[in-house]
Amino acid sequence: MSTKTTEIRPGGRSTSARRHPLLSTFWCKIVMAVTGLIFSAFVLVHMFGNLKVYQGAEHFNAYAAWLRAAFEPVLPHEGLLWVLRLVLLASLTGHVVCAAILWRRARLARGPFRRRHLPLRSFTARTMPVTGLVLLFFVVFHVLDLTTGTSPAASDSFAAATTDSSHAYENLIASFQRPEVGVFYALAMIVLALHVAHGIWTAAHDLGATGRRLRATLVAASGVIALVILIGNISIPILVLLGVLQ
Amino acid sequence: MKLTFKIWRQESTAVHGRFESYDLEGAGAEFTLLEALDKLNDQLVSTGKEPVAFDSDCREGICGSCGVTVDGQPHGPVANTPSCRQHLRSFPDGSTVVLEPFRSGAFPVVKDLAVDRSGLDRIIEGGGYVSLAAGTAADADAHPVSHDTAEAALDFAACIGCGACVAACPNGSANLFTGAKLMHLSLLPTTAVERGSRADGMVEAMDEEFGPCSVFGECVQVCPAGIPLTAIAGLNKEKLRAVLRGRGK
Ligand code: HEM
Ligand code: SF4
Ligand code: FES
Repeated sequence: MSTKTTEIRPGGRSTSARRHPLLSTFWCKIVMAVTGLIFSAFVLVHMFGNLKVYQGAEHFNAYAAWLRAAFEPVLPHEGLLWVLRLVLLASLTGHVVCAAILWRRARLARGPFRRRHLPLRSFTARTMPVTGLVLLFFVVFHVLDLTTGTSPAASDSFAAATTDSSHAYENLIASFQRPEVGVFYALAMIVLALHVAHGIWTAAHDLGATGRRLRATLVAASGVIALVILIGNISIPILVLLGVLQ
Repeated sequence: MKLTFKIWRQESTAVHGRFESYDLEGAGAEFTLLEALDKLNDQLVSTGKEPVAFDSDCREGICGSCGVTVDGQPHGPVANTPSCRQHLRSFPDGSTVVLEPFRSGAFPVVKDLAVDRSGLDRIIEGGGYVSLAAGTAADADAHPVSHDTAEAALDFAACIGCGACVAACPNGSANLFTGAKLMHLSLLPTTAVERGSRADGMVEAMDEEFGPCSVFGECVQVCPAGIPLTAIAGLNKEKLRAVLRGRGK
């Protein structure tokens, strides 16, 4: 028998001091789940709207104009859009703030010895903070590109909507015809699918889905919804880049 | 067979630890991991060295005392099997096996491979018990419970409190452990009056020392009792129920 000392590493003390935070982990997770599901529902509906691009410029622009005029005069002009924007902005704030809080708590609770070399099985779970950050960047870029038309995110030919007309179709095509932007949109959709697939499954746990059949349905639904969002959306930048959509 | 063990040595909680390598010869493939450590300790003691500290009791997978990290895996290479039921046949002859304590912020190292898992006890103290005076034994059918419900409660009651789920979790979460106890008790009618306060108390105690659950699913890979991820949904269901009904219901 031989004895040899190999390496010295610090650690071994309890790193998780007892905590009584203002917003408990349970409530942070509820905020994550509810806001995440709001996003998921929005992204799904938004994807179906995007598919109108295949009906041509006229239909797509008419749809964009309708979104602005929807429910007039009950709602003011752009009323529906502003309700959506406020809900989404509040959700985004809650989602990102709670994600940051939970991420920090998780690191503290685990302590200095991380788990390493985990199998592919938990890939989507482990990459949630990374895919989330990419999505945050994407959301900001996307709004500057196709909503406000702010350069350098937007294309040079961006034309803002007026009270009764929209150039959404032309703006979209011009934006995606820039190869680096088209590719970025396509990659962002893959990232979105990874985030949503694990996100819906996590939210199912946060909201207490215990039934056997319910769980089987939800695990399938999380994958199918992510895949539908992915295929519906990614087809657009790909077909623009291939010159099919013009 | 011949194996090299790279073992975490740490004199106490207060000092830093380090790895040391030990060659072990003459152990059989049928040895359990803990029997190999016994043999190694015999050799260490006979040469006047300090034996490796580790926890164990029943050595048949029912008490939850044992638990070391083997090559980064809590409990060892065979899934859903406690350290005392892991065998040397999992390792090729001549290989090096790295042994560390269970790693988690809430589990300070006591000595070498032994950690302090009393954080789990504090979760149970939060409400994972029945505090009713039950009196004399009730008639068998006084509290109707269906066969399936009784079986489900027993399945969740199978948790042996080893803490491997916490050690497996990249977030240091104890949701599987806590959820197993909450599901177990919530399925039985005799404990229903404490259902809400139990959920509140246990989840509060858990959040104080352990991390959030991100549904990595690593816990269910190591759990020797086969507790399913449903326990985690059950924990949140019980807590949500308590919130919606008001405290103590
Ligand atoms: C379209 C945008 C987004 C959608 C559809 C979405 C959806 C979701 C859903 C459904 C969850 C599960 C919630 C839970 O129960 O914990 C989740 C979790 C998460 N999201 Fe998002 N999210 C989006 C954007 C973001 C952004 C911008 C971030 C920024 C950092 C982010 C970071 C995270 C993280 C870190 C988690 C994991 C939380 C945990 O497991 O503890 N997400 N997301
Ligand atoms: S849930 Fe499983 S892994 Fe966790 S403490 Fe109980 S028996 Fe151990
Ligand atoms: S020693 Fe009892 S479970 Fe391993």
